[in-house]
Amino acid sequence: MTMLRVRDLYVRFGGVVALDRVSLDLNRGEILGLIGPNGAGKTTLFNCISGVVSPEAGQMFFEARSLRNAPAHERARRGIARTFQNLQQWNSMTVLENVSVPMDALGRRSTLGDALGNPMSMFAERVTMERARAILHVLDLGRYADTKAGDLPAGIQRRVEIARALAVRPKLLLLDEPAAGLDANETWRLAELLHTVRDRFHVSMLLVDHDMSLVLRVSDYVYVLDFGKLLARGRPADIRSDPKVIAAYLGESTHEASEPRAVIDETATGEQAPLLEVTKLAAGYGPLEVIRDVNLSVRPGEIVACIGANGAGKTTALRAISGIIRPRSGRVRFGGRDIAGRPPEHIAALGLAHIPEGRGLFPRMNVEDTLLLASDNTGDRVDPRVAYEAFPRLKQRRWQAVGTLSGGEQQMVAIARALLARPKLVMVDEMSQGLAPTIVRQLFEMLVILRRQGIAVLLVEQFVESALEIADRAYVFEHGTVGHEAPAADLLADRKLISGSYLGSAVDEAAAVPLGANGNGHRPDVELMETLALKMPAGVKRAIEERAEREGRPAGAVALELLEGAKK
Amino acid sequence: MSHLTRLLVAVAAFLVLAWIPAGLDVGLKFDAALSLVWGFGILSLVLLTGYVGQVSLCQATFAGVGAYAAGMIVNTFHAGYVVGIVVGVVAAFALGLLVGLPALRLRGITLAIVTLGIALVFDKYVFQDHLFDWFTGGSAGWRVDGADLLGLRADSSSHLLAAYEVLLALFILTSLLMVNLHQSGAGRRFRAIRDSELAASTMGVSLTRYKLLAFGLSAAIAGLGGSFYPLVAGSVSPQPFWVFTSLQLAAIAVLMGVRYVPAAALGGFFLAFVPDILTRNGHGTFLGRYSYDISYDWFSLALGVLLIVQLILLPDGVWGDIHTRAAKMWSGLRHRTERQVSLA
Repeated sequence: MTMLRVRDLYVRFGGVVALDRVSLDLNRGEILGLIGPNGAGKTTLFNCISGVVSPEAGQMFFEARSLRNAPAHERARRGIARTFQNLQQWNSMTVLENVSVPMDALGRRSTLGDALGNPMSMFAERVTMERARAILHVLDLGRYADTKAGDLPAGIQRRVEIARALAVRPKLLLLDEPAAGLDANETWRLAELLHTVRDRFHVSMLLVDHDMSLVLRVSDYVYVLDFGKLLARGRPADIRSDPKVIAAYLGESTHEASEPRAVIDETATGEQAPLLEVTKLAAGYGPLEVIRDVNLSVRPGEIVACIGANGAGKTTALRAISGIIRPRSGRVRFGGRDIAGRPPEHIAALGLAHIPEGRGLFPRMNVEDTLLLASDNTGDRVDPRVAYEAFPRLKQRRWQAVGTLSGGEQQMVAIARALLARPKLVMVDEMSQGLAPTIVRQLFEMLVILRRQGIAVLLVEQFVESALEIADRAYVFEHGTVGHEAPAADLLADRKLISGSYLGSAVDEAAAVPLGANGNGHRPDVELMETLALKMPAGVKRAIEERAEREGRPAGAVALELLEGAKK
Repeated sequence: MSHLTRLLVAVAAFLVLAWIPAGLDVGLKFDAALSLVWGFGILSLVLLTGYVGQVSLCQATFAGVGAYAAGMIVNTFHAGYVVGIVVGVVAAFALGLLVGLPALRLRGITLAIVTLGIALVFDKYVFQDHLFDWFTGGSAGWRVDGADLLGLRADSSSHLLAAYEVLLALFILTSLLMVNLHQSGAGRRFRAIRDSELAASTMGVSLTRYKLLAFGLSAAIAGLGGSFYPLVAGSVSPQPFWVFTSLQLAAIAVLMGVRYVPAAALGGFFLAFVPDILTRNGHGTFLGRYSYDISYDWFSLALGVLLIVQLILLPDGVWGDIHTRAAKMWSGLRHRTERQVSLA
């Protein structure tokens, strides 16, 4: 039975058509995946269904009743709940309070009765709390019940959002990027969680995520949006092999070998004095020391990647280097000068550009003005045309407010602005977060262009493999310090063991092919492999884990054995 | 704290505070009663700004509407003072709902400007315009010497202490209700609106209903305090309820900690006593040579400076930060003794 019926939805923001006559049907008990490149209109569709944005034209029916004129809270009462891509949990309230709000709101308790603490109210309160605790228990959040939601790490905050949405007692759950910022392990658990939720709470779901392997694994049916239009729909298996989808989402080919690595003159860079030299750096927030004993260096014209699990201290290291937070101890030398503890604007003026996580843009400023801001660092007025040559797309959008651009375009603006300041070193933090692979690839190509111009790059990245493909060297962060340092090619060779395509297609195919491809005699380190396996395609991981479980051994050991076997 | 503990604390607070002004002179008795009138004004901001996150710069206007309505009822209709208070609270509540309407669309600085505009309009064109003489009693204002509140005569010599005690009982009761509200379902809905309106609306909280309710209740609380003003002062005039008082209320609420109910008591005390004590004892000579004369203007200056110091040193307000630090110290102390016990 059709639960949600969307017909010819049309939404326009200024001159940009965000949704162009999109129709969609969702059946009861179904998990419907919604994928598409950045700016395809996925979140806009969510906003329409949940009543945050009203469409210019088109109709929506939920359980055969029209949603027209129903405000957001009314839709929640009818059974539509959602989560948010940029977390919207109530930070100053505890997790338990977060989950109890929707229940209170639906029960229509009287405000005066609550203030007086009358018996009915007290009884309702007890019931609410019991039910809230039950939901927390199912989502394994029980031990955070009395913690303020804002104090939790992002991964757990995402779970809190799901718990809160379930408290609405939804019939339909809209999940907007639930896996953003989660590592492979957490994503894997999320997938299990979604199935648990469907089976135990009897909800249908509409799921948007950039992690294609998650969407294709979890969903019963998939819709693909591109530029506000419906591009394709079908079962996950069909979508995976649909050439239109592959072209839109991944670019022409799914995965190329790592040959485009620019050959650098090792002797030339190897002997040059380091541009950035960090020794024994320690930094943190408040009582928390996040990094200590961090040593790293970047030579002119080099691309260096920092990789490691969430919370390993990569972002904090970049922030301490660029002066956003004050280093507690240690030395930072840049271009022969000590910069530790100097204010960030001085450090920027020396030629060190930092593109922070979340890009650090001003949403209401237009593209051209944003680019012109770069003149503050060089002292003279910059010429934005240089940036437009590198990013022709920005030229078309030059008068548009940055906030209305898609995520990928915003990242282009951030990189272009850094570029115009004529830096010697650019530090980029999580450039690919929330972006579709095609865009990510374009941006990585930009970094290679930067290097050709002699600009060094220090990169923090979750897409380990893409980062290693363009990097010269990499530092692996573990628990707040640098665990290993190695040439990127060596790490990548290790990585090839367990890598597959972005689409995480057939398990054995992915598991078998790259294994054979390795053979450079490099002895892999099991622990290192686990550190690197941040975005390991789920299919491969599952194959290894299944086998590990069958044989009752650690997954790392199984991977190692597969490698040894491949060598023989 | 359970409901019962809260109730016991409230009764204890009343018993202690009710006797304190008994030994003071008339001027300070007046200050004590006035501190509760303004205490209600700040309490209304704790609800509106502290709980629901809405800005308002017209709380003194709500108090003024309460005061004039009470004065008018007592003078024009010769009703008992209780009727005056009820009408004052209802009038303030109604105005609060009206002011809440723009808040459905606006937030932050825009809302602040709109409410400031409302305060200005009432200050200049309602409280001081002949068109509204029927409401304000003209330039002479209303005198309420003859009124009685549950048998208390306003002109008797003990009326200030009696008014103080009634006000104190109501203030503590309202505070108690506010603390209960904070921990209840309705309080959580209010706080959800403060933290994220977007999430609140999509989780089933009606923004229209709860924002209007917050404005109405907040105005009613301010109006309740204001409706006692004629009884305390003997008459009503526009001056106590002008724009500047609204700004002072907002500033002192932030200074003392706008999210905490006890901050309202601190703030009311501060606003009523400090300027009076300053102007009373503020002249003389320093070291026998330099004569000084502290006027009311010094109070505003001091408030501004204190606000800056507070925002740097005690960002959660005087009460908020002291409270958090005390709690931290207490838990640290307990932790240490526990460890010592376990070591022994």
